[in-house]
Amino acid sequence: MSGERFYILFPSYTEGMKLESILKKNNIKYTIVPTPRQLSVSCGISIMYNEDDGDKISKLISDNDVKILGMKSLAYKNKNFYL
Amino acid sequence: MGDYRKLWSDLGMDLEKHDKLCAVLPELYSQVYLTQENRPEGMNYFNFVVAEVHGLRIQELDDHKKDGGKVIGTFCVFVPDEVILAANAIGVGLCAGSQFWVEDGEKVLPRNLCPLIKAFMGAKVGGTCPYFNSCDMVVGETTCDGKKKAWEILDEYVPVHIMDLPQMKKNKDYKMWEDEIKILMNKVEELTGNKITVDSLKEGIKIANAKRKALKRLYDLRKLKPSPISGLDALLISQIAFYDNPLRFTQMLNALCDELDEKAKNLAPDNRKRLMITGTPMAVPNWKLHSIIESLDAQIVVEETCTGTRYFENEVSEEGDTIEELIKNLADRYLKINCACFTPNDGRLEDIIRYTDEYNVDGVIDANLSFCHTYSVEHRDIERGLKEKNIPIMQIETDYSSEDSGQIKTRVEAFLEMI
Repeated sequence: MSGERFYILFPSYTEGMKLESILKKNNIKYTIVPTPRQLSVSCGISIMYNEDDGDKISKLISDNDVKILGMKSLAYKNKNFYL
Repeated sequence: MGDYRKLWSDLGMDLEKHDKLCAVLPELYSQVYLTQENRPEGMNYFNFVVAEVHGLRIQELDDHKKDGGKVIGTFCVFVPDEVILAANAIGVGLCAGSQFWVEDGEKVLPRNLCPLIKAFMGAKVGGTCPYFNSCDMVVGETTCDGKKKAWEILDEYVPVHIMDLPQMKKNKDYKMWEDEIKILMNKVEELTGNKITVDSLKEGIKIANAKRKALKRLYDLRKLKPSPISGLDALLISQIAFYDNPLRFTQMLNALCDELDEKAKNLAPDNRKRLMITGTPMAVPNWKLHSIIESLDAQIVVEETCTGTRYFENEVSEEGDTIEELIKNLADRYLKINCACFTPNDGRLEDIIRYTDEYNVDGVIDANLSFCHTYSVEHRDIERGLKEKNIPIMQIETDYSSEDSGQIKTRVEAFLEMI
């Protein structure tokens, strides 16, 4: 399986947590993930979201003044790491 | 994304080498964990802990140290967390589950030693584990010859206190383990400057028991058919239990279990084979066997390992009005753990047989780390005991490299077809 994944990057985990609680309150699905290396060399959290929710999330980010480093996408290809 | 480079540098880490490790983790985690479908939303907390594994938690340890607190590293489920908690120290189970550290470990240890020992040694020698570098003291134990001798080398890098774990379970051994807990208590008091009282020890026992109860609750949910959580996710939770803040961990795990209670009501039956893993521990980030096995038509529903049932089964009694009574309670609970370092160790086979029934298991995989002699020798009796009960069993002996992954997959496929 392959496709594209969508991420929100943050300057600190506290901003990520702030957005998490907003997404939860608005019933928007999300996954907290380690930031992909291709998107940043700093480790830490990012939030992965469904492409369809992008506009809604952008609005929530600006309405609630959540500081982010950007919304980015990355192509992926599923394979078993060990095989 | 916090920038923790200054923190790591202050801890004396090799930043360049550590960066190579940071580069691998997101991809590894993504391929192993994020490819699973219908994961519970409560797993977001555990994703968070993994993503911040060398970040926020290390920051918390650093804050604790700046406030005058101490950090104590451990490697084994026999080391009583309660004592560490009672002295207001933070205990961290040190990670030793990656091939990344093996090469550095082999610089000071023989190659034909178990990968877990080589990895923890390599993590310290190579300066690539911020947990290790946060530790004011490490508590070792005499569970196996490899570890026993490795402490002598490790002590040159970080102060090591060794608990002399009995090798049998005679009455005198219980007495000896009580003495060892007392000695540890004195050592921890000396390190922290905090006196352990009946009240603080009881509080430590309560915190550790609450964590055990939450893990037991998770495992009880896995007894359902189908289990509402994958073996991979359950393994991750067990691994995180060793180093996360215990109060927060317990709260978040109970919240996840609430979600799983609901999820379980609506799960359609499936035909995946239900497997038990028994054997040696899987330290974070060792997800190799679970990942290979669950990529097939199988679900791992229980681990009879130190990163599984041995960690949480049996609580410490909170009854008693003196330190001596509480120490006896601790010794009694910890010596119920059935580890292959004991002789005889009949209790382990009894546990496995009981779990095959409780968890409705179709087959058992006895998974041993290479060169782990005690578990390897025990395989014969485990196999014989299970065959007498007509429970299918296979053995896998492996390390952290992925060279044998294809072969393991083929063998597990054949096993699944047979059962």
